[in-house]
Parts: sequence; C-alpha cells; structure tokens
Amino acid sequence: MNEPERYELFVLPEGVEKLSLEKDTKVPNAATFTIQCEDHTLGNLLRMNLLENDKVLFAGYKIPHPLENYLLLRIQTVPESTPSAALQQALSDLVQSVAVLEETFKEQMSGIKSREGTYL
Amino acid sequence: MSGKDVATKMKTRVILGEDRILHGSSFDAPTSFASVGVENGLNVEKFTEEVKVEVNDVSEDGNDLVFELSGVDAPLANTLRRILLSEVPTMAIEIAEFRDNTSVIQDEVFAHRLGLVPIKADPAFFETHVSGNEHTPENTLIFDLNVKCFRDINNEVVNSKVFASALVWTPFGEQAERFAENPPQVVHPDILLAKLAPGQRIDVRCYVTKGVGKVHAKWSPVATASYRLLPEPVIVAQPKSEEASRIAQTCPTKVFDIEDSGELVVARPRQCTMCRECIRPPPDAQHSAHGVYTPAVELRRVKTHFIFSVESTGILPPDRLVRDAIGVLKDRALFYAELFDQKDFEEHMAAASHSDGDDDASDDETKPMLE
Repeated sequence: MNEPERYELFVLPEGVEKLSLEKDTKVPNAATFTIQCEDHTLGNLLRMNLLENDKVLFAGYKIPHPLENYLLLRIQTVPESTPSAALQQALSDLVQSVAVLEETFKEQMSGIKSREGTYL
Repeated sequence: MSGKDVATKMKTRVILGEDRILHGSSFDAPTSFASVGVENGLNVEKFTEEVKVEVNDVSEDGNDLVFELSGVDAPLANTLRRILLSEVPTMAIEIAEFRDNTSVIQDEVFAHRLGLVPIKADPAFFETHVSGNEHTPENTLIFDLNVKCFRDINNEVVNSKVFASALVWTPFGEQAERFAENPPQVVHPDILLAKLAPGQRIDVRCYVTKGVGKVHAKWSPVATASYRLLPEPVIVAQPKSEEASRIAQTCPTKVFDIEDSGELVVARPRQCTMCRECIRPPPDAQHSAHGVYTPAVELRRVKTHFIFSVESTGILPPDRLVRDAIGVLKDRALFYAELFDQKDFEEHMAAASHSDGDDDASDDETKPMLE
C-alpha cells in the first residue's frame, strides 16, 4: 500500500544533498543544516556535542516527519564563530572521543579474554 | 553545602524523593553552573580522562555481556544502544523461493518465520546486497530446506516437525573453500519452524543477505541492548538501631547490611531497584516539627555511569557487537567530518550575508542582545 520503501532509510534520493545548509535570514550567526537519511542516533549526539561548545548559543534538532528520513539541525553561535565552524568542531570532537572510547573498550575486553582464557 | 557542591550534585546525580525525582534532565550548556564556578562543558581531554569501561559479567554461553560505561553523557550511551539495536549488520534470510509447500502453513507465513532464524555467518565477509541486483557469492549465502513427512515401515511418522536444523547450507560459487573452516549454519538448531502431516512436504531455497536492524528487526544482532544508571543509595544520617534493622529488612533486594556495631551500611548498591521502600515513612514515623519525615537514606543515580547489558542472538559475540557499534559510529563521524571538509559552508555563510544589502544594519541591532 503506502508503506515507505525500505531502502529509503539509507539510499539518498537523486539530486538531494546529504548535508546542506540554509542560513537564517532573521537571526545573525544562525543556520539550519539538513542531514538526509539520519535519525535521533546522530541528531541527539551532535546536539550534545554542539552544546558543550561555549561559542554555541543555541543547538537543537528535529525530525519534522517520522516517515521522512531527514533531520534539521539548527545552530546559533556568538558573532566570533559561525554555525558551520561549530558543527565542524563538534564532528572532530566526536571523531576523537569515539576513538578514545574504542581504545578503552578494546583494552578492557582484551584484559578479560586473557584473564579467563576460554571466553569467546 | 556550598553552591559549588549543590551544582555538582545537580549535574551528576538524579535524586529520587518519596514523591518526586530531582535533577532528572541533563545540563548541557557549558555555562549552566558558571556562576558558582563549576565547569560544565566537555572537551576531548576531559572525556579521555573520564571515560571508563569495566566488564562486569559474561554469561556462561558467552552471549550476554554486562559492562559499565562511565564518564560519558546520556546521548553517547543512547547512540551506542540505538546503533546496537538497529545499525550493526548481520546476515538473515531475505528471499525464500518455494518449490513445494503442501503443509498447512502458508508460504508467506513460513517465509516470515524463516527470516527470523538467526544465521551464524560473519557479516564482515559479505557485501551488502542491493535489492534487484544479482546474487553473487560475495553478497549471498544459500540455504536449502527440503523436508518430507512420511510413515516408515513401522508405521511411525517421520519428520512431523520441521526444525531450524533442516536449513542446510549450500555453498555458492567459491564459498565451499572460503568457509571450509567455519561453515555457515543456524545458531539454534532446535527452533520449531513448522509441523507436517504424513505426505506433506516443504521445499524452499533461501537467500541470506546482509542487512541492518532498522530495515527489518531480523537483522538486529541483539535480543536486547539496554542500559540503566548506576544506583547510589547513600546513608545521610545514621539511624537508630531499630530503624536501621527495619530499613535493612524491608529492602526487597537486600541492599543494606547491619554491621556488628549496629551501623547501617550500603553493601550491594548495584542490586537496588529504586523501589523507594527505604525512604518511605513507617506508620510510626518520627516527623519533625514541620511535619516532615527525613529518611536516613538518600536514593540517587549517577547520571554519567551506565550499566550496559547486551544480549547477543548468538550470531556474533557481544563484545564484538559493541566494538562493531563503536566502529559504525566512528565511520559515521569520520564520514561527516570529511564531507564537511569538502563543502565550503563558511563561504556559503559569507556569501549569504553579503547578498543582503541591509544585513549589516540588522546585525548591529541584534548584537548587544547576544552579549
């Protein structure tokens, strides 16, 4: 019937950009990013990373419709910075912290395996 | 308590009262507690310092893993949980070709049951099959199920039950050599798939492809993946011995112990289910002058300490799943970081502001409000 196609969750529609930016015309230093094929998994994480930056005045995300696979990420910064710089910072922080987490987990698991020997 | 202590407590603990929950939400903004001198922003150095993983328990069959992840914020823990449920790839039956089905179970119902059978095959060895494309040995495994129910010479019914073990791997192309050491098979051979009467037969060819749980739950690698916050019951005022033994006895999960000295101690905080029995006023409670009962125990949870529990379906070991999940998140972050470098958003922003003639004026008007 009107069931959305499964592949729509990860296949980008033709002519649509994965990541695009629209500058806010009324508020200075504010912009809305549209990220296709993403959900709360990434949205909430980016929001948190953005809010931890003291140059960011506002960061929030929404998924306007549950059947449409894109999210809107709105960022406003202080005049010394820009929304895109803030998002870039958030992404590079994310890359680094996830790498740290990966190392920590691997280290811990290798310790467990050698101690118990038989596990997995 | 100084303002700083109060702020730190608000930031890091959820407090359960008798009739309310305090500080349940997180304080994201770096300036939330600036007035009392508590830093709230998180940077990578601080994260590196604080993040900790500790493995608590691995079940005997190796399929359940309980580990503690501390020093991270809720969104990161939740992202990991969501990725475990819906974005770590596995192999599952996607297409079932029926050659014969004379049983009472309909083709489509049986096909659905087949899809949910966990197939033990490492998804890392396969490419994702795009629907409509050709099946190749690199993206597809083939399993055949051919069962006929009949009466043998002793008039005993044979094959009246079809179990998952009837799914037999048929090597496709070079796969016989590739997977000689570790042949793909079903995880649980004892899943009942259908029942047959003598003379009935099911003959199906199944195409197993790689996918993720957000497309269909059959590809989800976990039975469940969940976390809870670390419980932290604290004795704020040592109660009298009668009260102490009452608290220790009423606790259904036996969190508290009474020392030889008669002192109440928190012995097993991780067993606490936050039932709040220990902070409920007893019928003969001693109320203060204002009619307020002050419990001896304060129930808290640590906001940045997550007790993760990952139950694998048996396809992959749970530690591998968590590593895969972290890998998926890392790839995603790298993908966007690189995508970002390719785009020139700074220029786009600048161009947009130059094209507006009166933009500078409006900027000046709003600036003071921001500072």
